[in-house]
Amino acid sequence: MPLKKRSPQWPWQGLLVLILVGMAAGLWFATQRVHYEWRWERVPQYFLYQADEPQVAPAAGTVQAIHGDGATRTVDIAPATGGAPLQVTVASSSLQVKVGDTVAADDDIGTTPHWRIGPLTQGLWITIWLSFVSGFIGLIIGLITGLCRLSPNPTLRGLAVLYIELIRGTPLLVQIFIFYFFIGTVLNLDRIVAGVGALALFAGAYIAEIVRAGIQSIPRGQSEAARSLGMSSTETMLHIVLPQAFKRVLPPLAGQFISLIKDSSLVSVIAITDLTKSGREIITSSFATFEIWFTVALLYLLVTSVLSQLLFWLERRFARSD
Amino acid sequence: MIPFLELNAIDIVYPPKRVVQAVSLCMENIGISCLLGPSGCGKTTLLRAIAGFEPLQQGLISLEGAELSRPGWTLPPEQRRIGLMFQDLALFPHLSVADNLAFGLRGWKRSERRARVNELLRLVGLADLAQRYPHQLSGGQQQRVALARALAPRPRLLLLDEPFSSLDVTLREDLAREVRGILLREGIGGLLVSHDQFEAFAFADQIGVLREGRLLQWDSAYHLYHRPADRFVADFIGQGVLLPGRVVAKDRVWTELGEMDLPPLTDATPDDAVDILVRPDDVVHDDSSILQAEIVERAFRGAEFLYTLRLPSGARLLCLAPSHHNHVLGQRIGIRLDIDHVVLFRRD
Repeated sequence: MPLKKRSPQWPWQGLLVLILVGMAAGLWFATQRVHYEWRWERVPQYFLYQADEPQVAPAAGTVQAIHGDGATRTVDIAPATGGAPLQVTVASSSLQVKVGDTVAADDDIGTTPHWRIGPLTQGLWITIWLSFVSGFIGLIIGLITGLCRLSPNPTLRGLAVLYIELIRGTPLLVQIFIFYFFIGTVLNLDRIVAGVGALALFAGAYIAEIVRAGIQSIPRGQSEAARSLGMSSTETMLHIVLPQAFKRVLPPLAGQFISLIKDSSLVSVIAITDLTKSGREIITSSFATFEIWFTVALLYLLVTSVLSQLLFWLERRFARSD
Repeated sequence: MIPFLELNAIDIVYPPKRVVQAVSLCMENIGISCLLGPSGCGKTTLLRAIAGFEPLQQGLISLEGAELSRPGWTLPPEQRRIGLMFQDLALFPHLSVADNLAFGLRGWKRSERRARVNELLRLVGLADLAQRYPHQLSGGQQQRVALARALAPRPRLLLLDEPFSSLDVTLREDLAREVRGILLREGIGGLLVSHDQFEAFAFADQIGVLREGRLLQWDSAYHLYHRPADRFVADFIGQGVLLPGRVVAKDRVWTELGEMDLPPLTDATPDDAVDILVRPDDVVHDDSSILQAEIVERAFRGAEFLYTLRLPSGARLLCLAPSHHNHVLGQRIGIRLDIDHVVLFRRD
């Protein structure tokens, strides 16, 4: 029998390129229709910008000399109280004094440029930090709840089921509002604490179900073997079941963490300046609506794909002992 | 004397089914026994109850005089010092061979633990595979690791749940014999669960036949074969046929193949309709015999032929004959019965 010939791939790859080009053209045409003026050059300053920091006279005195050339000048000020001259360095273009001028303490001499972190970078950092902390807490909550869900004790099991159903049955946005306006007010919580709390509780419920499924996927023989070798049920869970379950739940856990990063954008409604909130604030001042939203989306994509690569690598490392 | 392992009138219920009913058995001394029965007879459930994974509804389990289980109370498995070897082995996939073995040795001194692991590796012949992971081993090697792991903490009793069933026949019997040797040398009791009588014969001194949750007979292999207490045991162990007969006197029974003496103490009254158990090796091929039977089937077994014979009445017999007696189908051959202990069951 002749081997089945593999059909050529290039026509389909060509079609893929064609579709992508078509979509890009459509986008371009659509923006042309609304007469949108793209100003991508405005975007970088929101990551990092140069700010002028004023330099002042450290004490009252007289400008004795100005030396240096090029970008910076150094001003020697002889203090009125006597003693060695004090030096202040400023950018050449911002120099505001001449030799012989009398200056009082805290008078402007000039400015020096400094690099500052822009709101997009700050928002990105808040988003990463927020996701990490609430993911970590969510993992602990999920682990405990997942174990409770499988507990023979009806109280623990009932509490776990109630919590999971409550969280999975209501929208995250509503949970955030409740957490901030109700629990936050009652317990006098900071908005960041309320945001982290809401996200952690939300993630915890989903992680609990992942943990439960992972534990249940380990054959009963494994824990029975461990028990017959003298391990208590707690030790068995710790040394035999959980290490194996962890390996199996990595892929769904990765999905959950990626979701968490995206869901964290909802905390912008309680005025936490995460990536999304920063984007909205920048738009009000720059009017570069399209550019900023595209940039924000790209930043989320960057964070999530780095995380997914990291977990993929971890998964492959663990898979070696199977 | 305190018996080694004692099960007293055990009931185990999976609602609504009573999977083990009134099972009592006793291993007097440290030895090797087997629970034999078809699948679904409750043998694995019984084993799990001894290991401490199934609670009892009725009865008592004790090991060396200490109570292990009674209704409403079960000593946790980890405190029983009973080892387990499963059908699926349940090796820990995330631990190396050496770590699998050392797992049951937590709490031992480091040097003692290492010495015990090395000793076990040598015992099962895996000394050079200590750092491998279970998935890197062959089926037979995995079996050995599972055995060594179960033996590591020096249990008093090792329970084996059809651990050899995934191996091919020759390896299975070799390993069963090897395990037997190791258990005897280490002074550890063994209780095997199996549906394979040859595995049971190769492994155990005492065998219990189970059917539908009841223990029918608890005896040596020899007695199970030659003196089955029950029709099911007679049928399940070995081959043979039940030949109709009639008790003619207190100690005589008539069959188509002649009259036979009944063993003393047989509970039979004249005129009872009975069935006599006739094993293939009870039927001897003898050309000088006046009894004739027709060959209707034959199976070559190497050293011997297993002939299926038809008697004039239509009843069938099995006959084991040396294989140089090469007869053809339809041929009539002379036979004679050579039964030294008649087993009979009353027909209802």
